[in-house]
Amino acid sequence: MTVRQTAEALGLTLLCGDGDREISGVYVGDLLSRCMSRVTEGCLWITIMSNINAVAVAALTDPACIVFCEDVEIDDVVLDRARENDIAIAKSTLDAYALCVAYHNACGENQ
Amino acid sequence: MDELSLYVLDITMNSVRAGAAEISVTLREEGEWLDFTVTDNGCGMTEEQVQKLTDPFFTTRKTRKVGLGIPFLTMLAEMTGGYVRITSTHESVSDDHGTTTHARFGRNHIDFIPLGDMIGTVVTLIQGSPDINFVYTHTTERGTVSLSCEELRAVLEDVPLNEPEVLAWIADNLNEQYQALASD
Repeated sequence: MTVRQTAEALGLTLLCGDGDREISGVYVGDLLSRCMSRVTEGCLWITIMSNINAVAVAALTDPACIVFCEDVEIDDVVLDRARENDIAIAKSTLDAYALCVAYHNACGENQ
Repeated sequence: MDELSLYVLDITMNSVRAGAAEISVTLREEGEWLDFTVTDNGCGMTEEQVQKLTDPFFTTRKTRKVGLGIPFLTMLAEMTGGYVRITSTHESVSDDHGTTTHARFGRNHIDFIPLGDMIGTVVTLIQGSPDINFVYTHTTERGTVSLSCEELRAVLEDVPLNEPEVLAWIADNLNEQYQALASD
């Protein structure tokens, strides 16, 4: 599924970035130093860490989209830097577990 | 990075890359705070560089466009109710140049992480840069652990500090000092 299809299926709000990228997997994590080595290229990265450092980690690891979950606040500077670096960002009111379950179900329906 | 010692290593490596000949690494545990301070006489930074330090998209590295050392340190310190303060004098401004990085952490805060292996960190630093004069000091309520490369070198004369026997002795010595603190 693409980022846009996933956003529609999971009820995410896509805030910026390329919606046409294919998603290759999911990673959930908030400890950014660990995420640096675990977020994989093309994945959906679900986190509550909605700060500029998360955007920098994404610039290094190139996920298809960062999903800020649990309705965390997102500063404008985060979105500005994400746009500058072509990083897709979406947000959701759901928590990480609910998003993973929803993604899993959506993948099944799309096969 | 889930141990504080990894942050100490990361920050101290900045001093090494800045061409410092003298680097002091000081840890102090007192009351609710753990402070670590790394002071070097390296090339220093300009005011503009210091201002941009917390921006992860600013880095002195040429190999990639993102630098997360100071941003991660600042994030961790602030999450525990502490802070990071950096003062620096660039070599173009004064002969008395260098950088001091001071990070304060709330050691009782729920988001604080374990200190980790400081002995291994000190040994790793000396192994990688045997010609730098590292001074390591760790003060707790029970006393102080310290090591000075300059003093070691005065005794060892021409023996490089990264000889395996010397590194093993350094590790043993620090270990004994920590054990003496713990048993007091």
